[in-house]
Amino acid sequence: MAGRVATSFGNLFAAVGAPVLALCAEVGGILTLLFRVLWCLVPPRFDLDETWRNLHKMGVKSVPIIVLTAFFTGGIMVIQAAVFVKKFGATSLVGWGAGYAVFREVGPMLLGLMFSGRVGSNNTAELGTMVVTEQIDGLRALSIDPVRYLLVPRVLSMIVMLFLLTILGDVVAILGAALFGTVLADVSLASFWVSFSQNVHVADVVHGLIKAAVFGFIVALTSCHFGITVKGGAVGVGRAVNNAVVAAALGIVLSDYLLTYALP
Amino acid sequence: MIRCASLSLTLSHRPVLHELSWDLAAGSVWGIIGPPASGKSVLVKTLCGLFTPQRGTLHVDGVEMTRLPEPARVDVRRKMGMLFQNNALFDFLRVWENVAFPLARQDPELSREELAARAGERLRAVGLAGSEEKWPSELSGGMKKRVGIARATICNAPVLIYDEPTAGLDPVTTSKIYDLLTDLRTRHASTVIAISSDIPALRRFVENVLFLHQGRVLYRGPEAGLEACEDPVVYQFIRGLGEGPL
Ligand SMILES: Nc1ncnc2c1ncn2[C@@H]1O[C@H](COP(=O)(O)OP(=O)(O)OP(=O)(O)O)[C@@H](O)[C@H]1O
Ligand SMILES: [Mg+2]
Repeated sequence: MAGRVATSFGNLFAAVGAPVLALCAEVGGILTLLFRVLWCLVPPRFDLDETWRNLHKMGVKSVPIIVLTAFFTGGIMVIQAAVFVKKFGATSLVGWGAGYAVFREVGPMLLGLMFSGRVGSNNTAELGTMVVTEQIDGLRALSIDPVRYLLVPRVLSMIVMLFLLTILGDVVAILGAALFGTVLADVSLASFWVSFSQNVHVADVVHGLIKAAVFGFIVALTSCHFGITVKGGAVGVGRAVNNAVVAAALGIVLSDYLLTYALP
Repeated sequence: MIRCASLSLTLSHRPVLHELSWDLAAGSVWGIIGPPASGKSVLVKTLCGLFTPQRGTLHVDGVEMTRLPEPARVDVRRKMGMLFQNNALFDFLRVWENVAFPLARQDPELSREELAARAGERLRAVGLAGSEEKWPSELSGGMKKRVGIARATICNAPVLIYDEPTAGLDPVTTSKIYDLLTDLRTRHASTVIAISSDIPALRRFVENVLFLHQGRVLYRGPEAGLEACEDPVVYQFIRGLGEGPL
């Protein structure tokens, strides 16, 4: 009897322990990568050409999708609010509400998730394929540190680009909100602008942009980590992309929660 | 040139190389054969310092590699040119840039024109003139192999390692590739290690053979002595018999 209880406790520990250990291994891997990236950044030692290529690939090519997302995000906020705005005649709140929500929360978060889906997953797949086809070994055989040559440029590019794309996205989302406001909630452009400019502060923008940079860092680290640790051929690449997107989304939501508390 | 003594390597908690000792004289030509997953690729990657063995020593040109930190391995790796089993062509670089890549790392002073000229020359030698501007994804399997060979040999390194240089190629191309490898070898008197599952073609090319099975050496010596080897695994493998321990 006592033996049976002991075994089932053992099984329980094993069942809980294995995923926890696996999680710890991934988190440890990401932290190690973080230190190795920082190590290459102070003083800066990385490949400039590679950085330029990535800035272009990750940033410029993401503009259309980001603009589209941001425009409709701004619009949706106003559509949701329109019912109450009309009911209570609260037209003077629309510009403020849209600006506050977009700048501080919805903009960075949605664009971060979008960026993770568009750029992060692509990055994981690319690095994973390089592992599978021995390109990483090829670099190391030529004494090129893959972290310095491949990862640091990608991490930098993702932080910079998500930051810049969020600025662009913020502007487009506000334009979208103003436009939808005039069409759907009878809020004139002028009153939208007054409400927006009097109540939304630079601090709100900064709050959101700090988040964007942190989200960029999270997407970068998770996508690079899962890409560079791919095991087991093409199937492994698929699994890694999946894990990377899930981890990035979790990371974004968690850090958003913490940052919202911590930032003014 | 290369000396391994009692090398043991464990990867993901599984022993892959076991107490491996091997001595390669400068200028010798070795073939590594063995069943799949016997550790052939891992062994040659260990030689250029991509894996660090847990036990044993590895001397390359007199330098002990296993205790050397990663940055200090540069000089040793300069002495080696390697063709990987999957070619490892960088898909973000054009064919000629791939070939010129090791050269550019070795000598940053070289201009782009010079690099292109040297790469073009090497590509002509492997029969790929005209493919300079292509991307690796536009090449056939055999073409990729030859680009890989061009890249492995462009620095005229004293040690050349070819992991499956003829896998998936027809007999004519195979013999052309071995002619090319022989030509390169005699011109630069390099030490050569070749892994192949095409045993007859490989045996025509090499002088010595290392037979690996489950990370252990079953035969090490002149190619001609392989027939006389008593080990049942070696016996079955080189004759391609269906019956036996494998
Ligand atoms: N990076 C790695 N991590 C963990 N295990 C590995 C790694 N690389 C290879 N192995 C394992 O080492 C063993 C030997 O692999 P290796 O690639 O050397 O075989 P091989 O002899 O080259 O086979 P083949 O003829 O099929 O190319 C295999 O069991 C493989 O699963
Ligand atoms: Mg192999």
